[in-house]
Amino acid sequence: MRASVNRPPTPDADEDKEAEPTLQEIINIKLIESGEKERLKELLRERLIECGWRDELKAQCRAFTRKKGRSKITVDEIVRNITPKGRAMVPDNVKAELLQRIRAFLMSDAL
Amino acid sequence: MAFKSKKAGGDSEDYKPCQHLLDYKAKYGIQAFRVLHKCLKTGPPGRASIRREEKEVPRCAICGKAQGRLYACLVCATIGCWLPPDQLHSRVHAQTNPGHDLAVDVDRAELFCCLCNDQVYDADFDRAVIGAQSLVALSGRVNGKEGPQNGAESTTADVKVGRSSKGGLSLKNSDNKVPSVNGLDGNESDRKDGDDGRDRKRRKGAEFKTWVPTQSDLLTIRQGSTPLVEDANLPSGLRGLNNLGNTCFMNSVLQALLHTPPLRNYFLSDRHNRTICQRRATHLCLGCDMDTIFSAAFSGERTPYSPAQFLYSWWRHAANLAGYEQQDAHEFFISTVDGIHANSGTTSPRARNSQTGRGGDVDCRCIVHRVFSGLLRSDVTCTVCGFTSTTYDPCVDISLDLEPDIRPDSKVFMDSIIGNFDGGRSSRGSTANGITGNSTLLGCLDRFTRPERLGANEKFFCQRCQTRQESIKQMSVRKLPLVLCFHIKRFEHSSTRNTSRKVDRYMQFPFSLDMAPYISSAIVRSRHGNRLLFVETEEMWASQSPSTEFELFAVVTHSGKLDSGHYVSFIRLAGQWYKCDDAWVTRVSEEVVRASQGYMLYYVLKTLSYKSSDFQDSTAGHESEANGNHGYTWSSSGVTNGT
Repeated sequence: MRASVNRPPTPDADEDKEAEPTLQEIINIKLIESGEKERLKELLRERLIECGWRDELKAQCRAFTRKKGRSKITVDEIVRNITPKGRAMVPDNVKAELLQRIRAFLMSDAL
Repeated sequence: MAFKSKKAGGDSEDYKPCQHLLDYKAKYGIQAFRVLHKCLKTGPPGRASIRREEKEVPRCAICGKAQGRLYACLVCATIGCWLPPDQLHSRVHAQTNPGHDLAVDVDRAELFCCLCNDQVYDADFDRAVIGAQSLVALSGRVNGKEGPQNGAESTTADVKVGRSSKGGLSLKNSDNKVPSVNGLDGNESDRKDGDDGRDRKRRKGAEFKTWVPTQSDLLTIRQGSTPLVEDANLPSGLRGLNNLGNTCFMNSVLQALLHTPPLRNYFLSDRHNRTICQRRATHLCLGCDMDTIFSAAFSGERTPYSPAQFLYSWWRHAANLAGYEQQDAHEFFISTVDGIHANSGTTSPRARNSQTGRGGDVDCRCIVHRVFSGLLRSDVTCTVCGFTSTTYDPCVDISLDLEPDIRPDSKVFMDSIIGNFDGGRSSRGSTANGITGNSTLLGCLDRFTRPERLGANEKFFCQRCQTRQESIKQMSVRKLPLVLCFHIKRFEHSSTRNTSRKVDRYMQFPFSLDMAPYISSAIVRSRHGNRLLFVETEEMWASQSPSTEFELFAVVTHSGKLDSGHYVSFIRLAGQWYKCDDAWVTRVSEEVVRASQGYMLYYVLKTLSYKSSDFQDSTAGHESEANGNHGYTWSSSGVTNGT
């Protein structure tokens, strides 16, 4: 059992199902392989902290948890409820900057 | 995105793990978590992830996509996705394979129970992660990095600052709510000018009230005092100190002490009056001698003063250092602090028991320790089991090693490392450093607080493993003092030649310093993320002072060699820098100070705050000592401090 963690993922049911990856997936893979994704994540993290998004979201989570009662709540529930709000709260300029970065990456990197 | 359930921090005790986790642990034991070591990757500090290979793109074994959160089964390592509401393949996996309930979030290395739909916490798991993580973090780190935010810091004193350091004799509490430096302030700092309400709820401090003198107070002031000679050009307290024979080490430190705002206010507000001090009759009292110097410096007289009495008392206090030889200014500082403390007679019983030679004492009520004493925290983490042992050490200063030379050609390499490993912390300083290649105070602080592997011959005895293990040590500042004194170790010992030499390298230091990244809560948090912590409680975070901004007010510099040279200090008064070279005091520009080779740097907290106990204290102190009159007096315009 211990060694099994290092095994490649078990091809559970669908070895054959190997569908054509979508464009989004290809980009995602490229971003990960080049390490750009980590950098983007770090950038995003910084931006969201700077603009107060994180604090606001924390407050929302806290309020939600309090409303539900902290012993009854699961992480999954919080995620499900707060995610839409969180998405909506991301400032446009942050989105724009990230988009710009991704675009620049796709242009520069020979895909 | 990661939502940290609040279960992680505070109530680790009443947290009950789910049955699935208990079952898993009963079946596989804690050893099971160890296998994670190999798969653990560390990004910026505190952020771990699970990957089998460096650039692996994890994807769901069922749908083959990489959407939503991905969880790797703890039993068979199958990755499943979690994209509510309907795409919950890791849950499908758990349901079809009994016993495979627990999974680990591949991007965060946190435990998740697929049946409970909830994050679960387990100290053993977290220890395994932390142990592995500290290893990875170490190998990924490079020595030199970090520079201060040079650009921003050059604007130095903002409005708030000017106020706290300015008020020489006139301690007006001005229009805003920032309390001016009133005699002393408490340790349990909290922010009074809270523009953001975030820290508010934890504050325990007391409200600052301006002292309004009553009629009789005014009468006493008028009768018991003589007006000071106002000097329009120079701020009060500036007076040269004569060199009494190689005593520049003393003069430079005394100048810094004379202009340490909380110390100055303490002595000038007559809290230690040499004419009524009880100890003076029988013992030597360095506090009384300080009082004498303060009186002399702030008397309005500008001719250089000879602190002969103080020197004599200090000789008697530190007999081994007596004589006309050159001494180390840092040694003098430590011994003076110790001397004033020992003579002050206010030592708490507990402090007396735990008294050590050079360390400070956070609980001590004596003036020097209330001003200079901080608490350092040192964590030693076992790399095998992740067990951390924590010790706290009081200190009156922080000794920093200079960074080793950073060569420009290593810059490219460093950038790449920084980009990959160290995002969070080094983004602060990397830009400045890249340009100058200089060693900086922030860089030194980063070195001071970074995890450090203990050598093979100093293996640490791990209480959990019950054997000596490879360990990682990390320092942080548990409690910041009011006045932070940095001592830069400018000597280098070569064991091969058995000689010491002075390091004349320039080190940049900011005029305004934020210690937030170096305090224990930040360090521990960045190391552990939101793991279930072993010792930390909500209290620990709460008691951490929210005020971490410091500003520079004195620099002691040394020129010359290890065994001989000259000390000069730079003092900031009313927004202007003065160079105190023994008997000569001259006004200098900021650039001169910036370019100086700092040996000791004194920073004072920008915003001071008060505990309610301080008010009682100072009231009592004031009444009992108010009888004696000093030779000097308050300037007519100023309102004296008080309660």
